Amino acid sequence: MLYYVIQSNMIKKLLHLAALLIFTAVGTADAATNTIVLEGSTTVGPLAKSFATYFTKKYGVRVTVSESGSGNGAKSLINNTCTIAAMSRAMKEPEIAAAKKKGVNPLAHVVALDGLSIVVHPGNPISSLSKAQISSIYRGTITNWKEVGGPNARIVVIQRESNSGTQESFKELVTGKGVQITGNAETQSSNGAVKSRVSTTLSAIGYLGLGFVDHSVKTLAVNGILPSVKTVKNGTYKVTRPLYFYTNGQPSGLVRQFIDLPRTAAGKSMISELGFINQ
Amino acid sequence: MNIGTRKILDRSFTALGIGSIVVMAIALLIVLVPIITNGIGAVFFTGTVEHRKMLINEFKRGDTDKLAEEIASSDRYRSTVYKMLTGFEAELDRMPPEKKAEYKEKYSQVKPALQALLGPLPGDPEPMLTRFKYGQTRWEKAEEKLHDFLYESKWDNSNPNVMSKEYFVSRALGFEGTTLAQLFPYVKENIDHMLLPEFTVYWGFITDSSVDSHFFGGIWPEIQGTFFLAVGAMLFAFPLGVIAAVYFTEYAKPGFFNSMLRSANSTLAGVPSIVFGMFGLAFFINTLKVSESKSVIAGALTLAIMILPTIIRAAEEAILAVPKTYREASLSLGSTKWNTIATVILPAALPGILTGGVISLGRAAGETAPIIFTAAVSVGSAIGLADVFSSPTPALSWNIYNLASEHEAASQIRHVQYGMVLALVSIVLLLNLSAIVLRARISKKLKG
Repeated sequence: MLYYVIQSNMIKKLLHLAALLIFTAVGTADAATNTIVLEGSTTVGPLAKSFATYFTKKYGVRVTVSESGSGNGAKSLINNTCTIAAMSRAMKEPEIAAAKKKGVNPLAHVVALDGLSIVVHPGNPISSLSKAQISSIYRGTITNWKEVGGPNARIVVIQRESNSGTQESFKELVTGKGVQITGNAETQSSNGAVKSRVSTTLSAIGYLGLGFVDHSVKTLAVNGILPSVKTVKNGTYKVTRPLYFYTNGQPSGLVRQFIDLPRTAAGKSMISELGFINQ
Repeated sequence: MNIGTRKILDRSFTALGIGSIVVMAIALLIVLVPIITNGIGAVFFTGTVEHRKMLINEFKRGDTDKLAEEIASSDRYRSTVYKMLTGFEAELDRMPPEKKAEYKEKYSQVKPALQALLGPLPGDPEPMLTRFKYGQTRWEKAEEKLHDFLYESKWDNSNPNVMSKEYFVSRALGFEGTTLAQLFPYVKENIDHMLLPEFTVYWGFITDSSVDSHFFGGIWPEIQGTFFLAVGAMLFAFPLGVIAAVYFTEYAKPGFFNSMLRSANSTLAGVPSIVFGMFGLAFFINTLKVSESKSVIAGALTLAIMILPTIIRAAEEAILAVPKTYREASLSLGSTKWNTIATVILPAALPGILTGGVISLGRAAGETAPIIFTAAVSVGSAIGLADVFSSPTPALSWNIYNLASEHEAASQIRHVQYGMVLALVSIVLLLNLSAIVLRARISKKLKG
């Protein structure tokens, strides 16, 4: 009898709890439709997060941001599981085709410009490399800092994972699209990880979005030109790329307002405070 | 074997056992001590007046009158700094061009260093991002920034054959002979008057939402998300698991099909969690479309599938451990099979079943891989119960990873990361403790 009492009490409590959960959930379910879901690039991450915080505060709309790489952003938009895909590269032909097949019409909105910064450890005496030299380092034909006028130390090459838009832009802008990057290159999965690896490894070289650069790493001049607001904007710094928000078709309502943030005064100052460049 | 050898073997085995326990204890200490000491620093720390400003502005919490007094007293010291700056700027204008260029370059580093320490200077435009609206809120960070302000880091590359070495140069030396030279000793001397450090207990770290992607504020959305995901997974997995275990132990006939099912279950228990994550994305989100985007429900379902095999196994073992005599007594009293299971076997097996359940709950709370693609986001506000069907959520396990690697200013907010780690470890420990307590209490009642 005792067993039965314990068990029936527990079951009753569980049933009550479950009923409660279901009722509260159903009762207010329609309040939940106002969520903007951002998925994609870790480079656009700081911008997306700041915009999200600002937007939530101003309009009371929930905005969630996940940083899982540009490739993932594209996939999510194709599968229609995000509102906005943040990407640090343009969508590729096959991606657009896949999207069209699923009835999704990807539309690019430029958020900001980013000078892809080539970074080394601050202790590295090298302060400038040519595009050809960087390309050779990443192809594996230059393997020692000595060969570009530095100390005798093996170059630790750091690249990004294949899902990364930064990796794609780097290949497109520096090494050339189809080029195979050296097998000795180490792969890191985010801008932050590249930064911490380079800042702790004397002989490392890596590349970062401009907004991620701080004093823990040294930015190299490419063909003699350092990335800055001026050089990126006027195009003299060659390793420059736009950052995108992609939506499915022309957005409307709150999503439209979110997409238009980079063109408002508030959005512009957030972009420059984060170290990116207004277009 | 003679008795001497046997004794030696016996002793060495005991020594090995004690040794491995000691190694385990040391490993546990090495892991836990930094987690606890650093994690506690997120709640208990020496906060500056900037922290108290932030609390009032962002959370409307604190003593406004006391703060006004503090700000007034700190401004008395700060105004001297600001006067020195404007004084030097005027001096800079009067300098000959080549000298001016030289000092301007150096001066351009002084201002940001001072802003990092004290917050925006008078005349600066109001920053949009909350992180730039305040100076250093934590004293230990302020001391680091003070060092950056007083000393310039330079790299000695006199030897072209090796990498450069870092050395520090006092900024004051660089401004010798100008009015700005006195700024550096003044700031060093009066920094505690300007920042008013004070021992702070910030419980809001647990109950507040984050402000400006974890720069300030707390981790409540993450804690809540973890809770929703783990409990949600349990709601699905626990009943299913117990029912499956009852089927395996009471109803299934031994045979090929049954053994296939069991080995499938065991295999499932060994599948890496990232595989469940990918499965969850492909099945629950892209195929079944349980929600339009990542969501708590999709994450909870994925976690449920991950912990299901463990729950089944634990429940099976618990049911098999119920003495046969219980069952026989019940059946001999004329009870039906179902009635016997519901009133005798399950209550008697309850302690074991619950232990398995709570341990799985702990695992669901701690897993990262299954929720990366199905539920977790790096920024999002706390969600209501109604939103679990449509909204993704931040969760401790994923956000720890995010702060450690992806966050743009990871090195500046290590304390938040440690705080999250401590919170997660505490949640899992509490769950396991409650399993032990629950088990003890129910066993006692059953024996009662």
